[in-house]
Amino acid sequence: MDAIKARTPIGLITGSLGSGKTTLLRKILGQADRRYAVLMNEFGELPIDIEVIRGTNVEIAELVGGCVCCSLTGELEAAVEEILDRVHPEYILLEATGIAEADALVFEVEEKIPRVRLDSVVCVVDTDASIRFPSIGYAGRSQLRAADIVLINKIDLVTEAEIEMVVAQIREFNPGAAVLKTVRCAADVCVLFGLAIENRVRDIPVHGEGTFGSFAYAASALLDESRFREAVSLLPPSVFRAKGFVLFHDGGRLFNYVAGRAELEEFPAGGTELVFIGPKVEQDREAIGELLRGCEVR
Amino acid sequence: MAIPKEIIRVSDAVWEIPRTYKEGMRVPGRIVATEKLLADFDDGAIDQLTNVAMLPGIVGYAYCMPDGHWGYGFPIGGLAAMDAGDGVISPGGIGFDVNCGMRLCLTNLSYEEIRPRLRELVDGLYERVPAGVGATGFVRMTRDEFRTVVERGARWCVKNGLGWEEDLERTEEAGCIAGADAAKISEKAIDRGYKQIGTLGSGNHYLEIQVAHRENVFDVELAKAFGITMPDQVVIMFHCGSRGFGHQVATDYLQVFLKVMDKKYGIRIVDRELACAPFRSPEGQDYFAAMKCAVNMSFVNRQVILHRIREVFSDVFGKDPTELGMHQVYDVAHNTAKLERHRVGDGERELLVHRKGATRAFGPGMAGLPEVYRSTGQPVIIGGSMETGSYLLAGVEGADSTYYTTAHGSGRTMSRTAARKRWHGRRLQEDMEARGIYVRTATWAGLAEEAGAAYKDIDEVIEATELAGISRRVAKLSPVGNVKG
Repeated sequence: MDAIKARTPIGLITGSLGSGKTTLLRKILGQADRRYAVLMNEFGELPIDIEVIRGTNVEIAELVGGCVCCSLTGELEAAVEEILDRVHPEYILLEATGIAEADALVFEVEEKIPRVRLDSVVCVVDTDASIRFPSIGYAGRSQLRAADIVLINKIDLVTEAEIEMVVAQIREFNPGAAVLKTVRCAADVCVLFGLAIENRVRDIPVHGEGTFGSFAYAASALLDESRFREAVSLLPPSVFRAKGFVLFHDGGRLFNYVAGRAELEEFPAGGTELVFIGPKVEQDREAIGELLRGCEVR
Repeated sequence: MAIPKEIIRVSDAVWEIPRTYKEGMRVPGRIVATEKLLADFDDGAIDQLTNVAMLPGIVGYAYCMPDGHWGYGFPIGGLAAMDAGDGVISPGGIGFDVNCGMRLCLTNLSYEEIRPRLRELVDGLYERVPAGVGATGFVRMTRDEFRTVVERGARWCVKNGLGWEEDLERTEEAGCIAGADAAKISEKAIDRGYKQIGTLGSGNHYLEIQVAHRENVFDVELAKAFGITMPDQVVIMFHCGSRGFGHQVATDYLQVFLKVMDKKYGIRIVDRELACAPFRSPEGQDYFAAMKCAVNMSFVNRQVILHRIREVFSDVFGKDPTELGMHQVYDVAHNTAKLERHRVGDGERELLVHRKGATRAFGPGMAGLPEVYRSTGQPVIIGGSMETGSYLLAGVEGADSTYYTTAHGSGRTMSRTAARKRWHGRRLQEDMEARGIYVRTATWAGLAEEAGAAYKDIDEVIEATELAGISRRVAKLSPVGNVKG
């Protein structure tokens, strides 16, 4: 019997024109620990190898290090299917154009592409531009509202007080999103897209936020699903991301959590192993452990 | 945010937001709406309208039409005239789907005559007019040919047997706006455009078979002048634009403008979506010439689609399109910026009129109208939602306060995503079919986006334009068949 194959995670990168989306992509590819496929409107400034394969809905180019870059030429849904079949990526990153309505894109990915799982939505905000253009427009609002994580970029160009103004403005549109302050999009891939967290239980320095901590939780007992779902809804705000496997009486699940949004997906897990990550998350380690132990079936 | 308490009623259907409402407003904002429409007016659009009022060189008022709602930068339904000398040009005031517009074509068939062939007609149209996001057209051309086409506009189609000579004079700008320069468009824009001529696109783009029922003809004389002369006459209306091409042109120049706006020209704006450049600057002129290519591409697109429609009707009825009376009534552009001369105060001024989701509606006698419509005023084609019906209006005298501009459709009341969550496309199709409207769609979700209840009340919108004195009712047109992009 074939093992159940988990859906391929997809991460969305949104942000207005010139906010730093391509810079972020370059950083991610520079730290690549898996085979990524980057799907974008056009190749732009990414370092593309000479050979470009023309598909029906995408043009595919190999990048140094095994990742691929895909330029959209057809419809999104068909392009994603084509990428899955042709290059078998471990993770897809979708870069939205600066004028995209992010909520529509999220809907498209969640409702119309059953072979992928929406992992996280990262919105890059140009802090300097936010000060110069204080009114947030149509595309800007939809991008902020749809975001799990807001990366406020270019903070070196503004004052502390201005950073706080921008954060407050973001909160108006999306009180729940995790906000990260960066310069030139210097954020850890693992924080943004939850990759290989399970292998990297360590402290992650994040500019302007001090240090991100993490800890693991493992249980040999089965967990009760409804109690677990309730426990997840009670996780403190210090948990920025969580990821891992959970074992219920009817089988295993892959668990993914980004800034308040949680997902469980069938997966042949042999036990429960979870990793929690966030600023000062260790302070809540005891409380979270308590919550989870309350889900164990004895 | 609700409707600002500072708002003043200027006349039955015109409301004004004074300059004191927000710091930096150079002119007051004005909304055309009935009391009922104003009560539910999109507050995001009002916020955007007052931002538009801050743009350098704006003359008179920043306007929002009764079908207005939130858009990128300007509200959709936005109108702003900039001084051609010291004003700016802004892609956000034109829209990404440059010159998306409406075309209306007559037939001499009655509803009774087409009813037994309706499915055949709609299926034929669905096959011959490709719809959906990535659709490519039947007109094959090289990238170089495309450059020529976007400079020459719809005349290129007529020369190549894809239209009638009379179609040209019944198209805004005679189907070719002067000054289009293909040297100002990017390779990427050409990539996105050259295979798309003759395609509807997605979103709110559609092609509809409609009926002018006798009781829905409000002005018999004008209707006759526009070609609607018989009871239950069948007409074909469609809405589409410049597809990925216009989108890319706008994106290219938004990026250029964001770079030079402040640093080179010292223009400060509050919302980056309103990125602009002085109209007379090299960057502004380049965009103007590139945008005109997109305007022409759109005229070409609609011309080719009209040709396909004539072919389908001709095949189904076994008659030549001329025998079927398939004359074009008119073609109007929604998303443009055009140089026009209008009366301002005591004198006349050259203005760059930005119309975004708004229709030019020239009154009787105005220059720029073809001879056939010199005495009637311009036909104005208003696309309603696919469930509730559309309108044919006429431009009127004395609409200079809005620079002879009126509404363009019924206007969304909820986002596409919200509509998709609320309705199911397949069920909607069944409901519509039960009411005698046969629909073919590229995607079910796309159909759900266009549910009638996702739009404002079209009758109320038209009422507002009449009360405001910017256009008048000629006939209401009811849908019987629809191809949804």
